[in-house]
Amino acid sequence: MKALQAHDVEAMLDLCTENADFHYKGYEVRGRQRMVRGQGKARAIAKAFWTSMIDAFPDLTSDVRSVIADEAGNVAVECLMLGTQARIFGPFGNLGSHFDLPHLFLFQVNDEGLIEDISAYWDTADWYQQLGRLELD
Amino acid sequence: MGGNGEPALLALTFLERMGQGAVEGVLELVDPDALADLVPLQLRGRAERVLRPYLRQVATAFPDLGLEVRRLFTGTDGTVVAEVTTRGVQRAAFLGIPAQGRHVDLDQVWLLHVRAGRIDGVRAYWCQYHVYHCLGVRRLPRAARARGGSDGRSSEDVQLVGDRSGLHEGPSGA
Repeated sequence: MKALQAHDVEAMLDLCTENADFHYKGYEVRGRQRMVRGQGKARAIAKAFWTSMIDAFPDLTSDVRSVIADEAGNVAVECLMLGTQARIFGPFGNLGSHFDLPHLFLFQVNDEGLIEDISAYWDTADWYQQLGRLELD
Repeated sequence: MGGNGEPALLALTFLERMGQGAVEGVLELVDPDALADLVPLQLRGRAERVLRPYLRQVATAFPDLGLEVRRLFTGTDGTVVAEVTTRGVQRAAFLGIPAQGRHVDLDQVWLLHVRAGRIDGVRAYWCQYHVYHCLGVRRLPRAARARGGSDGRSSEDVQLVGDRSGLHEGPSGA
């Protein structure tokens, strides 16, 4: 979360295993011919997602509200993600709107201290409304 | 699943009953003063006023509801984190959306804080956009946002959401 706040995508990826899985549950963009989902490998899909998010929302930041962890490497982080849109991002063509959106991240950390699985939950409907888009894809 | 001990068993019972639509059975496990926060609906308040009406709507609208626990662990602070998938076919109005027999397959995370054998805090995350899309909603309401307040909305607002005109503007044709 600190690396994300610093917009340091490489540092974020350095904390993940080579083969870490990535599931962003709220990210589904339905186009006319294909659907883009926020699922895949962190070093491919997540890297592209985080880089474009930071590019589109240059003041992107997060406010961590709670961290819940056990001793087996399971971690849940509740936070508020905040940002102001400066460029087109996915379905959001409207510029200049601000969002603050509750997120829940789930991490699975291995014995070497590296993240091997990331899942994130948020409500895309809320995100759409805040960025001025009311039509569903 | 990494859950163990009494909090995990209590959480599994909560989820099992929720999957069966056993609303009162769920609430038996929850402290009457527990705070419930259904994040995507921006509903926060006492479980009695927030959780009961929500679970009733779910149980009525999705009588064949099923729930699969995909991951569960207990944090050192006594919070059980449960990642689940709920599935069902809509047979009655839900949050103002008329039933069209559509199938919903929804990933959720429930955070259940356990103290002295009771659940004294409930918070849930999911993507409501996904629910709207599954149920054929084509346009989102221009909703007033309640976030940031101390108490959020109450159960009356659950009904208000249900009555909100413009939430459903017809099927997407899918």
